[in-house]
Amino acid sequence: MSISTAKAAEPAVATTPPPVRRNRRSTHAREWWFGALMVLPALVLAVTFKLVPLARGVVTSFEQSSGFGDSSFAGFDNYTRMFDDPVVLASFRNALLVVATLPVWVVFPLVLAVLIHQRAPGWKFFRAVYFVPYTIAPIVVGIMFRQILAPDGPINALLRAVGLRPLAIEWLNGQNSALFSLVAVALWSFFGLGVMTYLAGLATIPDEVLEAAYLDGAGFWRRLLSVVVPMLRPTVAYWSVLCASGVLIWLFPLIYALTQGGPGNATMLPEYLVFLTTFQFLDRGYGSAIGIALFAFVAVLSIFSVRHMFTEGTRKPR
Amino acid sequence: MFRRRLAGALAAGVAAAVALTGCGGGDGASDGPVTLKVLTWEPGGTEYWQQVKSTFEAGHPDIKLDMQSVPFDKYPEVQGPYITSQSGPDVMANNAGLELFDRRGAYVPLGDRAAEINKDLVTYSGACEDFDTSKACFGVPFSYQGNVLYYNKEVLTAAGLDPETPPATWDEFGAACEAVKKAGKTCLALGLSGTFPAYWDFPEIARNYLTEDDIRGLLAGTLSWKDPKLVQTLEKLAEITTKGWTNRNAPSITMLPDGADIFQRGDAAFAGTIISDAVNWEAFGKALGDDKLGVTRWPTINPDAPLAQKFSGIEGAVYGVTQWSDKKEAGLEFITWLAGKENGELWVKHAKGQPLNTTVDQSLLPSSPAFKKIQELVAEPTLHAGVMLSGPEADALARGWQQVTLGQLTVDKWADQMQQALERSPTKRQGN
Amino acid sequence: MTRRQSARIGRYLLTFALVVVAVAAIYPLLFTVVSSLKTQHGFAQDPLGLPTSGITLENYVEAFKRMDMPRLLLNSIITTVGGLVLSVLAAMLVAYAVTKLRFRGGKVVFLLIIITLTIPSQAIIYPLYQTVLDLGMTGEYQGLILAYAAFGLPLGTYQLAGYFQQVPDELIEAARVDGAGHFTILFRLLAPIATPALAALAIFNFVWMWNDLLLPLVIMGGSDSKTLMVGVSMLSGQYDVSVPLVSAGLIVALLPVLVIYLVFQRQLVSGALAGSGK
Repeated sequence: MSISTAKAAEPAVATTPPPVRRNRRSTHAREWWFGALMVLPALVLAVTFKLVPLARGVVTSFEQSSGFGDSSFAGFDNYTRMFDDPVVLASFRNALLVVATLPVWVVFPLVLAVLIHQRAPGWKFFRAVYFVPYTIAPIVVGIMFRQILAPDGPINALLRAVGLRPLAIEWLNGQNSALFSLVAVALWSFFGLGVMTYLAGLATIPDEVLEAAYLDGAGFWRRLLSVVVPMLRPTVAYWSVLCASGVLIWLFPLIYALTQGGPGNATMLPEYLVFLTTFQFLDRGYGSAIGIALFAFVAVLSIFSVRHMFTEGTRKPR
Repeated sequence: MFRRRLAGALAAGVAAAVALTGCGGGDGASDGPVTLKVLTWEPGGTEYWQQVKSTFEAGHPDIKLDMQSVPFDKYPEVQGPYITSQSGPDVMANNAGLELFDRRGAYVPLGDRAAEINKDLVTYSGACEDFDTSKACFGVPFSYQGNVLYYNKEVLTAAGLDPETPPATWDEFGAACEAVKKAGKTCLALGLSGTFPAYWDFPEIARNYLTEDDIRGLLAGTLSWKDPKLVQTLEKLAEITTKGWTNRNAPSITMLPDGADIFQRGDAAFAGTIISDAVNWEAFGKALGDDKLGVTRWPTINPDAPLAQKFSGIEGAVYGVTQWSDKKEAGLEFITWLAGKENGELWVKHAKGQPLNTTVDQSLLPSSPAFKKIQELVAEPTLHAGVMLSGPEADALARGWQQVTLGQLTVDKWADQMQQALERSPTKRQGN
Repeated sequence: MTRRQSARIGRYLLTFALVVVAVAAIYPLLFTVVSSLKTQHGFAQDPLGLPTSGITLENYVEAFKRMDMPRLLLNSIITTVGGLVLSVLAAMLVAYAVTKLRFRGGKVVFLLIIITLTIPSQAIIYPLYQTVLDLGMTGEYQGLILAYAAFGLPLGTYQLAGYFQQVPDELIEAARVDGAGHFTILFRLLAPIATPALAALAIFNFVWMWNDLLLPLVIMGGSDSKTLMVGVSMLSGQYDVSVPLVSAGLIVALLPVLVIYLVFQRQLVSGALAGSGK
């Protein structure tokens, strides 16, 4: 990785310390109050609509309820119960498999964005068209892909026509193929968002810098890794965090519309299980407990990205 | 440029916020007509509910209806929080059977009113505790629902079968399927994704093994899934797919619309669906032609079983008055009206459904031969085993069937999973 | 093969790959449009094919008949624009305070907001409704706008912080020396630099808020203030699932989204630090 080119992106950052005005306490204090005022609206929103409900959810997860009847304190029962519930275990195993596909989620849109940014012929058209799947509501996606992925559907017809008959499997019927088909549909749904995000990031890099870096005649992949990615670090990090924290949640409406977690539990994911347990099985305490477990799972998963984002967002010492 | 646009958007947002503070609130305790908030998923369609609103309001000038319509598949997410917080609409709906019982704490028991409501109805027990009209009842149904087997006469004829005598027994059905398959069509159109097969197909097999007491045991959670009667039911359910009677993609498609569409486009001989609301004689008749559509009871397995020749009938949506409503009298007036003749006729005319009220003008009833045949079939109703299933049971039944079909599960293991689902059902927990 | 030839072949292959992805991307829209022009029977006949039994506009007529379109549209616009503006504004303020002010505790606030990103919404429906009920905002626009803003907040905060971070402090200091206040710096200096990010955020938030079903249903229930997407989902019933009718509703609901996208997409690639020198 060539560090010299990466530096070009941030011209002269922090090489000369800013002209610090020798300052008294009062300006510091005033600035602190001002900052506090600025974060207040966001803090109020986050606390009211997310943290308070989450705290209430945690309380529910320690209760046992019988449908809509009274609930009683159940200690850790709901949590210990998860460990010998095969469906819960299957859903988290599936979640891990989904998470394993994250590199594809990060790289695939990046490649497309760079190609578009390089003004490939018709780039304006591609830029607009790639965004379309993200705008299509899941209900249509579900109906459509059930037809497309059917054993005798168009995908398999195409595969057979080009002589790839062994690949023409029953996509949505297999233990693993169902899950990966679902992930592929989700990726198809969201890659346009990634392309858009990367384009927004690429726009902040002056063209001359990129062009100069391209001139050394390196191959596409080398350039991508050694020039674009370092310059685009904040955007890549942002998109990675977005995917890491979002992918399990994005899959929810697609599971709902496409497989409902089946066949069997092949495409069961924790968020869908929370929905089933809470609203179809009327087991609110247990549903909340699975929800909290999912929260912990995603939090652990994204702890590195959050830490990264944390240092990214608060790096500059003054 | 962008900044100006952002400023414009900002201004719009602020204007919106200002506008909001102006409106909202509303209602007030004025002397005018009472406004009832009615939570509904519009069973029978939007047109029917528009008629309900205008007709009812015309006859009851002192009551206005404020329809709170929510998509069916999101209904539990909206209704659940209302019930736990004891707040929200004055009148709500739930499907008859366990779905209603599980939420009965939210509804006002009807007491003496129940008899008046029940007066002209074909059945009413699905709205009452333990399917017993002498116990507390919680709401008012107006539609009649249940499962039959529709068939395409053309497909049967092409397969060399007599379209006027469809297979009546399990073995005849198997033979017919072989013939249909040889003629290049699917025998039974089926989609196993989701819980519809649990509600539609399970009761039709179960009728061959269970008595009405057994079905009540299923409701109470006292009948074990390890019981031979239920294991045999599962075995026959599994045969439907393992014998190759259905479309190959059955485990991964939904019954609605995918499975029903296979039948509607004439690619299948049979489809097991319902009598009211949609995917019924009306929709299929429109797609295939009324004269090409046949209807029959599901084939019997044990002809001597007490319920083998009966119809698993169930009331459709049941509307009840909520415990927390402060307009209970008006609410009761509205739901009582729902059971009556006037609404029964609206249901027939605008929802093309099977009426529950027996006094509905017979001349309004459609002339479709399939509809006529259904009138014969429904004449001898019994309890509907499908609506006795709890959420976890219906879910496990559907998932298990998918896995059995794909050869990933044995019937015995399926029964084990069903028993576990029963034990996991919060509202069927024994001893509380 | 010369180098130039192989470069040309490479370019063809590349364009071909882009086209393949484009076809896959545009297909659902075509599918939806074509489906919306079929009768229900026509769709059942051949779900994936072209309408052979004639084109019909009856689904659009029916969709308009069943939905109170002007009201639904107004509800959606008010709540989506309100939520969008509020969440982006709140995010801008936080991002500024955390990256450009001497603000002790900023890290904690930042982390707290970001962590709300990972809360699964299905798990907090009951308590969320309870909270909105306690605030007396059920069935009200405010409730939904504030909830949208809260749910859109973490990503906006993170993305904007990332952009603001890249702006050299000297630029800020210079502006301060010129006598610019914090708000002038934020809206006149930083916002233009972050234009692509703001445009991306605007599009992202608009689309999910416009299409969301969970929050509007939990907060608005089935009241008259329901959003357009909720109206569209009402087009399919418990048993009556008409793909053509739902498709027609979706096409109508999709138009505003496409307009927003086209309006903002130019900003996606504009901006750049180079243009920020004033």
